[in-house]
Amino acid sequence: MSAPAPTAAPPPATRRVSRALLATRMPSAATAALLVVAVTASALMQHNFFTPYGLTSNFATILPVATIAVAQTIVVLAGGIDLSIGTIVTLSSVVAVQLMDGDPGRVPLALAAGLATGAACGLLNGLVVAVLRLQPIVATFASSYVFGGLALLVLPTPGGTVPAEITGGYRQVIALLLPVPAVLLLVLWLAWRLLRAHRIGQYLYAVGGNAGASYASAVPVARVRVFSYTAGGTVAALAGIALLANSGSGDPFIGNELTLGSIAALVIGGTRLSGGAGGAGGAILGAIVLTLIQNLVFFAGVPTNARELVNGAIIIVAIALAGLLTARGGTSDGGRGRS
Amino acid sequence: MPTPYLQMTGVRKRYGGVTALAGADFAAEAGTVHAVLGPNGSGKSTLLKVLTGVVEPDAGEVRLEGRPLRPRGPRDTLEAGISAVYQELSLVEDFTVVDNLVLGVEPRRWGLRDRAQARRIALPWLERFADAFGGRVPADERVLGLDPGERQVVEICKALVRDPRVLVLDEATASLRRRQVEVLFDVVEELREAGVLVLFITHRLAEIRAVCDRATIMRGGTDVTTVTVGELPEQELVELMVGEMAAVGAAPSTAREQVRLEVRDLSGPRVREASFQVRAGEIVGVGGLQGQGQGSLLATLFGAERRHSGTVLVDGREVRPRSPKQAVRSGLAYVPGNRGTQGLALGRPILENMALPSLARRALLGVGLSRRREVEAARSAAGRMATKYGSLDDPVATLSGGNQQKVVVGKWFATEPRVVLMDDPAKGIDVRAKAELFGVVRDLAASGVAVLVSSSDDRELVEVCDRVLVMFEGRVVDDVHGERLTEETLVAAAMRVTGTEVGS
Repeated sequence: MSAPAPTAAPPPATRRVSRALLATRMPSAATAALLVVAVTASALMQHNFFTPYGLTSNFATILPVATIAVAQTIVVLAGGIDLSIGTIVTLSSVVAVQLMDGDPGRVPLALAAGLATGAACGLLNGLVVAVLRLQPIVATFASSYVFGGLALLVLPTPGGTVPAEITGGYRQVIALLLPVPAVLLLVLWLAWRLLRAHRIGQYLYAVGGNAGASYASAVPVARVRVFSYTAGGTVAALAGIALLANSGSGDPFIGNELTLGSIAALVIGGTRLSGGAGGAGGAILGAIVLTLIQNLVFFAGVPTNARELVNGAIIIVAIALAGLLTARGGTSDGGRGRS
Repeated sequence: MPTPYLQMTGVRKRYGGVTALAGADFAAEAGTVHAVLGPNGSGKSTLLKVLTGVVEPDAGEVRLEGRPLRPRGPRDTLEAGISAVYQELSLVEDFTVVDNLVLGVEPRRWGLRDRAQARRIALPWLERFADAFGGRVPADERVLGLDPGERQVVEICKALVRDPRVLVLDEATASLRRRQVEVLFDVVEELREAGVLVLFITHRLAEIRAVCDRATIMRGGTDVTTVTVGELPEQELVELMVGEMAAVGAAPSTAREQVRLEVRDLSGPRVREASFQVRAGEIVGVGGLQGQGQGSLLATLFGAERRHSGTVLVDGREVRPRSPKQAVRSGLAYVPGNRGTQGLALGRPILENMALPSLARRALLGVGLSRRREVEAARSAAGRMATKYGSLDDPVATLSGGNQQKVVVGKWFATEPRVVLMDDPAKGIDVRAKAELFGVVRDLAASGVAVLVSSSDDRELVEVCDRVLVMFEGRVVDDVHGERLTEETLVAAAMRVTGTEVGS
């Protein structure tokens, strides 16, 4: 018969606010509403939006963004963050493009090498964060320069050729309506569902939700953290390959600016930045919303130079929106929530 | 003589300058309920944490069934068949109850999680404890929505799902309601029949007598003696637990005429139209069933939770703190119940924690700080509280639970508060530390401070308070004082019955 600890606490107000922001989540209804708005607006502004050509070209841009958002989601769910994810995309794509060098016969080797590069980068990040226990933000910010620098050594200037079989295949339409990138997106989501059904998928959420509790419950916390970065790096490499297939040639800066977008997409998709809640499905939807908004901005005549600005603004608006919506929803469930 | 089922010999552990265990020995048999007793800081928690692998000992040996055990983490412990329930919970709030119960031991089929099997393992225990959840089986509810007592029961079920040979209950009953404790004790009896060794840490004497067969008393990092509970009179058991110090009885009231704190129609998130007064030098308790808004009342007064309406006067002047900082400025101080997350910067030195709330008072021209004056302030606060510490520069985390709580209380002295709000300050600390803590609360009151203290322990309220406000669903429903101030009246008032025939 006692008073439970009150939800509000006396630590400094600024820390309380920042922690509260990290703990907010975009409600699924808000994500869905944004998706409907973005699709409707796109359909109105791009007259060919619902034609096979329109769908293919939209999904061709969406797939890399969605893939990198899924990669970031895997890391964030487990309580981390990977600021080097864009440079992992770049490094694995330049490794792959240098190895394939326009020769279809060398594609399997090149893809394997690209994936291995992404996995190795992620493993390095994971070991630094989980074993050396450096702050994820600092550690991955530093490693982003290492990976970005390596990419410049592998491919100093834009170049390299992707075999026509790949670029052509990427823009195929199956059964008159299903673009190949959309099918690949579906495959990515199914792979996520498989991971989610596995123990390790559950552990991502457990470690991100409460690492101490997970450790006490005999969850291998350090291994889960290393896994999250490695899996994130591998999926990021897939995004790099999708970018290659979309653009047809290599570029030593191709993915660098995508880090911010990956975080924006997962926030829009309802993943909590402090970990433990959300999912890759949301991140995919978030990436669709984000890409469509960026296209809209482009069609509205805003120069591409302003894309970073728009990305940043979208993140701020998304987090603020998530915060507002969570705060309002929180009072109705008895004030027990920690939001 | 046969070797005991569980044997720990010569276990030593030091944290910084404080010796937690100084060569403790411990032995227990399967199929018994064995209490580990002693004042806070006596090393009993550390001893059991060595057993569960949470703490690595500096020296010593642990043998289970004659085989040496060197757990290096919860995974090894799990394999050895040892499960522990701590007061600090190990639940993932976003997970459902079932997902929490099987966390770390998820059954698998074809490499994937087998959710049907998980339910089959978890449901029997949840059904067994249905009474403790108010008759329901919250398998698919999220832990987020459960109250502290229910979460503790989930924690206990989680240990049981792991099918332990040794079950450690470390203060597991501290936040439980009576009905929940009864169910737990029934289960403990069954486990004893099944040959499980149950190790039990508690400060509640009644519980020891109700369920324990044997008891090992610890003091100063070593075992003092091991007794058979049934053969020992209660008084002797208390003396063994408390050591050389006798428990303090009710002290004479120091209340004066002057009204220090006046609250009129205060409403907040979980407080409804509370009105009461606290006079200078008076200690007023806040009691009632668990979670009836006691913590919220204190937090709302302190400005940590938003006030919807009402008036609060300190010495006749209206105060409307919108943040803890403003509350401190208007003469309020707050001692939270959850010392780990609210009251202390655990990783920072004791000195800093002690000096933090009163910094502004000593700072020269608002910025200059003298190390010497900081040390003096911290030392005098620690001295008043009889806090045991190695060095003022050690992190607070190296102190035992009781001593940490003393730091939480002690740091406010230097701000010279007029009203002190305490949210269950003695939860989970031992008889002796409790007596010292409330001795200090008495001193505070004698100096003219008005004290408002909530507690989960009715006996504590009766012993310490001049008056007790009973809360029910956010309202103050009774004001118990004078002759009526007994445990029976408090329980009756809390349950909103008029007679005294309540519970067991």
